[in-house]
Amino acid sequence: MSAKQEFVDNAKAGKVLAKKCTKCGELDLATIYFCKKCGNKGFENAVLEGKGTVVTYTIITVPPSGFAKYTPYAWVILNLDESDLKISGFMAGVKNTSELPIGTKAKITGFDDRGILIEKQ
Amino acid sequence: MEKVCVLGAGGTKYGKLEDSISDIAIQASAEAIESAGIQPKEINAGYISNVFGVADKQVHLGPVIMSNLGIPEKPSLTIESACGSGSVSFREAFANVAAGFYDAILVTGVEKITHTGTEWTTTYFSYCSDFFYEGQAGASFPGLFASMALAYLTEFKATEEDFAEVAVKNHDNGLLNPKAHLRKKITIEDVMKSPVVASPLKLYDCCPFSDGASSVVLCSEKFAKEHSKDYIHVIGSGRGGSPAALQGREHMTTIPSTKIAAEAAYKMAGITPKDIDFAEVHDCFTVAEIIDSEDLGFFEKGKGVQGVREGQTKRNGEIPLNPSGGLKSKGHPIGATGVGQVVEVFEQLTGKAGERTVKDARIGLTHNFGATGASCAVHIFQSV
Repeated sequence: MSAKQEFVDNAKAGKVLAKKCTKCGELDLATIYFCKKCGNKGFENAVLEGKGTVVTYTIITVPPSGFAKYTPYAWVILNLDESDLKISGFMAGVKNTSELPIGTKAKITGFDDRGILIEKQ
Repeated sequence: MEKVCVLGAGGTKYGKLEDSISDIAIQASAEAIESAGIQPKEINAGYISNVFGVADKQVHLGPVIMSNLGIPEKPSLTIESACGSGSVSFREAFANVAAGFYDAILVTGVEKITHTGTEWTTTYFSYCSDFFYEGQAGASFPGLFASMALAYLTEFKATEEDFAEVAVKNHDNGLLNPKAHLRKKITIEDVMKSPVVASPLKLYDCCPFSDGASSVVLCSEKFAKEHSKDYIHVIGSGRGGSPAALQGREHMTTIPSTKIAAEAAYKMAGITPKDIDFAEVHDCFTVAEIIDSEDLGFFEKGKGVQGVREGQTKRNGEIPLNPSGGLKSKGHPIGATGVGQVVEVFEQLTGKAGERTVKDARIGLTHNFGATGASCAVHIFQSV
C-alpha cells in the first residue's frame, strides 16, 4: 500500500499518519521521502490524533468545479495538538467568520472527494 | 560570466482576447524582435512560458512560434512554473546567455484561459496548488491567499481597507497603461462593497483572469552593443522555493521563496533594497503585494501596510510598486506575467513608459512567483 493510501485510511479514522526521522526525530507527514532537517531516509510511522486548533482559514463563495453544492464552505489549516505539524482540509457548513474564530478546536473526521474532512470539536 | 542585456520587448494587450494562444504568442514575439532591431535568424533559441496550453488546444508551443517567425530550425522549449512561469523561463534564458551557450534568446510568455469561464479557470488554477492537500479539498487560489490575508489581519495592525488601498493604487497606475486589462478608476468603497470571493478577500482584491502574451529578447552585452542603443543590463538574478503546501510553512504571512530569491539577486547585483528605484511585484491579490513588499526588504515585517497608507508605494512615492498596474489592473495571463514585468522595466528604463514613467529611475526589480510562492524568481535591471 502506498504511503498516500495509508495516510488516507488513517484520515478516515480521524488520525494523521506521520513519519518520524530515525536519526534526528523530525516529524513530517507520511508522504515525505527524505528528512528535510537532516536528509536521512529512515523513518518510523507515528500515528497522531487528528485534533488541533485553527491557525487560519477562508470561507469560499466562488468554488472550483465539484464544490458548488457545498458552497459556502471553509478551507481550514489546523495546528495539531501533539506536534508542530499543520494540516489543511475541508470544513462544511461554515457561512460566517463569526462561527470560526482563529484558535477554534477542530478535528479530522474523514476523507472523501473533498479531501481531508475537518469539523469543529 | 557574460554580462546579460534585455535588447527588445513587446506584447499584446492583456484581457479577454479573441486570437488563439499561438497567434498572440507570435504577435508578442514579432514585436519583441522588431523592438530589438534584429533579424529572427540572429536568435539562437526560444524559451516559452505557458501553463494551460492544453485549454486552447496547443501545447508544444515553441516550434509553432519559431516556425511562424521563419526560423523553424531554431531550438525551443516550454517552461511551466504556474504563475511564475515567465520569470523562471527568463532566469533559464539568462543563465544560458550568462554561461556563453547562446548569444540571443527569445523569451515569450503566453496564456489563453478566459474562454473556459470562471468555474473552470478557478479549477485549472487549483491544479497549481499542492492538489492532494489544497485543491482537492476545495481550496481555490483566492482561498489560499485569503487564508494568508486572515493570518496577516490577525497578526499585524492591518485592516481590509489597507488591502483595498493596494487595489486603488494599482488601478490608478493601470489607467495609464494602454495594454492593461482593467483600465478603470476604483475607490476604497468600490473594493469594500465588491462581492466576497473567499473571505476576507473580495472581488476587487483579486487580479482578473487574463489572456495575453509578452516577449523579450535577452542577449550578451557584445550582441546588444552591435545592434541597438536601447538596452538594459540584467545585474541580478535569484531563485528560491517554499514548501508547496501552505500547511508546510512555519509562518503564513511570509513567502520563504521570495526572501531566498531576493537575497540571491541583491547579492549578485551588489546592492540592497534601498537602491531599488521601483519594482514590479507579484500582486495576484492585494495582500500579496503587502507581503511581497516586506519579503523583498522594502519594509519591515508587518509594516508594509503602513507603506501603503502613507503612499510610499505610489508611482511618485519612495518605492513605487507596480507602475504598470500590476497583476491587479494590468492583468495576469499567468504564463506571460513574469515576462510582462520585464517588458515594463525595459520600457521604464529606456524612456518608453510615457505617462506612467517613474521619475529618475535607473534600477528596477521584478518579482514573480508560482502558486502561493512555492517557486519564485527575482531579477534586477539597470539602465545603461
